[in-house]
Amino acid sequence: MLAHYLDLSVRSFKRTPMTTLLMIIAIALGIGVTMTSLSVYHMMSMDPMPHKSSKLFHPQLNTRDQGVNWWTQDDLPHQLTYIDAKNLYQADIPALKTPSVKTGYSVHLNDDQIKPFMETVRLIDNDFFTMFDMRFIYGGPWSDESDNSGELVTVISAELNDILFGGENSVGKQVFFDKVAFRIVGVFDDFDYHVKFYDLTNGAFNQNEQVFIPFSLIEPLEVNNWGNTNGWKYEDIRSFQDKLNSELVWLQFWVQLDSPEEVTSYKNFLTNYLTEQATLGRFERQDVHFDLKNVMQWLDYNNVVTEDNRVVVGLSFLFLAVCVANIVGLLLGKFLKRVPEVGVRRALGASKRQVFMQHLVEVSLLGLIGGTLGIAIAQLGLWGVRSTYSYYDALATMDLSMFLAAPLIAILACIIAGLYPAWLVCNTNPAYCLKTQ
Amino acid sequence: MLDIKPTISALRRSKAGAFLLLIQIAIATAIVSNASFIVYDRVQYISQDTGYPEDEVFSFSLNTFGDVEDLSQQMEQTEQLLRNMPGVIDAVYVDSVPLSGSGSASSFANLPRDQNEQENYREVRAAYIGADEHIFEALGVEIAEGRGFLPSDVIVTNTRADLPPVAIVSRSFLDEMFPEGDGLGQHIFTGNMGAQIIGVVEKMKGPWLKDSRPDNLLLIPYAEASVYQNFIVRTKAQDRSEVIGKIEDLLLEQYNERVIINLRGMDESKARYNAADLLMVRMLIVLMVILVLVTALGIFGLTVFNISKRTKQIGTRRALGARKSAIVRYFLVENSLVCVLGLAVGITGAIGLGHFLMTEYSLPKLSLYYVVATAIGVFIISLLSVLIPANKAANISPSIATRTI
Amino acid sequence: MLTMQNVSKVYTTEKVQTHALRDFNLEVNEGEFIAVTGPSGSGKTTFLNIAGMLETYSSGQYLLDGIDIGRLSDNQRADLRNQKIGFIFQGFNLIPDLNIFENVEVPLRYRGIKSAERKARVMECLEQVGLGSRLKHLPQQLSGGQQQRVAIARALAGRPRFLLADEPTGNLDSLMARQVMELLEKINQEGATIIMVTHDPELARRAPRNIQVVDGQIADFSLYQKQLAGTEPAVAEV
Repeated sequence: MLAHYLDLSVRSFKRTPMTTLLMIIAIALGIGVTMTSLSVYHMMSMDPMPHKSSKLFHPQLNTRDQGVNWWTQDDLPHQLTYIDAKNLYQADIPALKTPSVKTGYSVHLNDDQIKPFMETVRLIDNDFFTMFDMRFIYGGPWSDESDNSGELVTVISAELNDILFGGENSVGKQVFFDKVAFRIVGVFDDFDYHVKFYDLTNGAFNQNEQVFIPFSLIEPLEVNNWGNTNGWKYEDIRSFQDKLNSELVWLQFWVQLDSPEEVTSYKNFLTNYLTEQATLGRFERQDVHFDLKNVMQWLDYNNVVTEDNRVVVGLSFLFLAVCVANIVGLLLGKFLKRVPEVGVRRALGASKRQVFMQHLVEVSLLGLIGGTLGIAIAQLGLWGVRSTYSYYDALATMDLSMFLAAPLIAILACIIAGLYPAWLVCNTNPAYCLKTQ
Repeated sequence: MLDIKPTISALRRSKAGAFLLLIQIAIATAIVSNASFIVYDRVQYISQDTGYPEDEVFSFSLNTFGDVEDLSQQMEQTEQLLRNMPGVIDAVYVDSVPLSGSGSASSFANLPRDQNEQENYREVRAAYIGADEHIFEALGVEIAEGRGFLPSDVIVTNTRADLPPVAIVSRSFLDEMFPEGDGLGQHIFTGNMGAQIIGVVEKMKGPWLKDSRPDNLLLIPYAEASVYQNFIVRTKAQDRSEVIGKIEDLLLEQYNERVIINLRGMDESKARYNAADLLMVRMLIVLMVILVLVTALGIFGLTVFNISKRTKQIGTRRALGARKSAIVRYFLVENSLVCVLGLAVGITGAIGLGHFLMTEYSLPKLSLYYVVATAIGVFIISLLSVLIPANKAANISPSIATRTI
Repeated sequence: MLTMQNVSKVYTTEKVQTHALRDFNLEVNEGEFIAVTGPSGSGKTTFLNIAGMLETYSSGQYLLDGIDIGRLSDNQRADLRNQKIGFIFQGFNLIPDLNIFENVEVPLRYRGIKSAERKARVMECLEQVGLGSRLKHLPQQLSGGQQQRVAIARALAGRPRFLLADEPTGNLDSLMARQVMELLEKINQEGATIIMVTHDPELARRAPRNIQVVDGQIADFSLYQKQLAGTEPAVAEV
């Protein structure tokens, strides 16, 4: 029967091409606008690592004097001081963990072949590669010994490897960051995370770093961080050592906790740590205040989905509602003209349900066509977004789920639009056809 | 004479059509009022006066990786090289650049920190930029009161030194710090270090237009050279792109163990910082335009439908002596009734939506002016959408009444 | 097989009640061919609508093959209509989008009959009305008489035991009307029970049994006899 209903729908479209076209345009515009904003929203709010995001945690510590307020909603700083990052890093806890901070260097090979260029560089522990599922095309992470000894080793991106070495296996080769020569131990495959969730400080959707070096190099190389540095009290900071010893927050930290027990024991550890720091007289607080947020909580806390986007998504759906109302109007006109025919069908034994289904199939087909056209309009919209705001390049695209969602939402919208008109026609009195003459 | 009574009873009979029309008008009014208000707010923000001749100024960052004996000497040389370029009005090296989205800010106080128990102790947030006396000419700002920096004021250093004892501030900061209006000549403090305010610039924005205090900026005569150094250059507007094109080669020719990045005009920096707002403006404008079109089409379609249902009735009316204008008026009145109802619902919805957006998000309070203007606009568009089919209806031949269809 | 006892139909609008049928009694047996006549507005069409289960009635009892129609739901009535009843309308009421074959196929589709059997039956019925060669034509490409034959084929396709015809020749010239009537008679001889509403006295006379409806009731046949005898004024022409 479905095939028959589809056949009838196509005939119906052919009979009233103008109305059909208007309805398709209405739903296509509605879907186009909605999918443009929804796709951006979807990419912004999507879990970057669904299998692991609930196990990776970012701690936040309140190491300020009682009564000093931060500007965040829970009064906790986003980042850590060097003292805390180092202490958490060196704590004897059997879990994958890494401090993390961004800097930048001029990259070159100390020859005339390649003009030096700037790259962002991230300092991490080698646990980072495991925790964030980084894949290597050549070599691998540096060793634990390199982490401890501060050896000048690096892992670079495939993209950078292409520029520097034409894509060949560069493991063992030298690369210069500013004046310092590093030995390449690994080349990692491109990140496919659309959100830079491990460091949201300077924008959640920036490109990931192309270079990774051991965190332990921070002191010997006197690495200046790129990103935010925030303080809460006056400190006369003149040297790099002053900064390391200060209460400025400027580092990120991640820890992987695989079970609720591990989370509990890590929280106990943080409680003890903060109590101990207070006892040492570093700050004056009565209560212990910290938080441990997993990836999705972290994204939410940092408002990764922008308010503007939420507003536009909301307005788009309201717009879709207008399109639906429009289609209802057109369908009423179209279906009511068909009352005599429906009367005949009813007289010939069609049940209300069959008539109702026939009309719902017709509007669904309308939705499918409109939704598909809507995808094209959404692509145009997303192109507009990308050309206005290149920062959204990775976000203003439709992934598979959005490609599927578009026709589904369209069909659903059309069915909603079709319910009342279809109900009206299927309640046509079949005796009507005897009286038309 | 307006045929309100028969119109209402006709409307009652085609409830669905009237209801659909009402919904479309209501939603359109609610969306367009709020969207146009947001657009206006953002356009105001994007096009605000920053105090700088943005089309004359550009900036770049210089990362020096070579071993340089005396970095500040080299920066001075680079500065000199830039100032000598044809077309350049002035150039200066700075620690951060206004409107760039990157810089430093701190709290400044009217008293030293050891007197913070005092009743009149006050802290005010401001961004600060350190540079030599060329900063005013390079940024294209003028000292409104007091004096500019003298070369003797400027501390040139390779390492972190004590801050200089003088500063020049924006009017906004001065007024907030010293509300009595006697700020010029007074001291401000960071920690226990004080600096005297020697000059005021009427308007100069800080690095972040979205800061809680975007207008509070301090300039200090302090030029600390760094391996990562920013430069600000000003040219005549028509010379700028030519000068920008020559910068990289010229600077690398002078010394090649360094990298130039972020080379761009001040207007471009600002546009990058505000790109999300421009995106919002564009998306909302597209949304509004399509929405108005779709709504107009909807009204048009429903009127055509209403008329087609009443062809014979119209013919009969015509046969009984109704003038064409009466038929047109009939449909205009009918539409207006629905439209006014829809607008009533829509205005309520617009205010509700505006209130929701204000409480849930950091959007300003919806101005009623936008709601009223939108309502009038929607009303006019709805009347126009009815005119065409209504005129067509008026041309229905009276003879149709006598045909038995 | 069809029994109506005291069937009444009242249309109620805001202000007035109209009795379309009142205490209508009728017994129809298998294989009959009945012509129903009566003036405009007498209730002929209402009777046909109720007989065909297109409309419900207000009171009384209607049994079709022993089934009490008053107890059926809308869906059950639709199924029963589909199985037992074929309709022939004055305006033919062919669906303009569908070609001849597809029009005849409609009732079979609603019965859920498989494609192959549908095809066989449609062909059979179209052959029966003499239109086996015009399958792909659309209704508007045919003459009125041909359209009505298609409509008859459609009514026959479901192999109904009842054919209800509402002025089947009303829109046809006399030659075509006669052909249609002959077709109906042939169908009746093959076993179908036919009830036909008509204005045309000549057609009515050809039917073995005549019923006259006046004011929603079957006119008293004895009265009718007296009219013929000239003792009473005629109520209506027969």
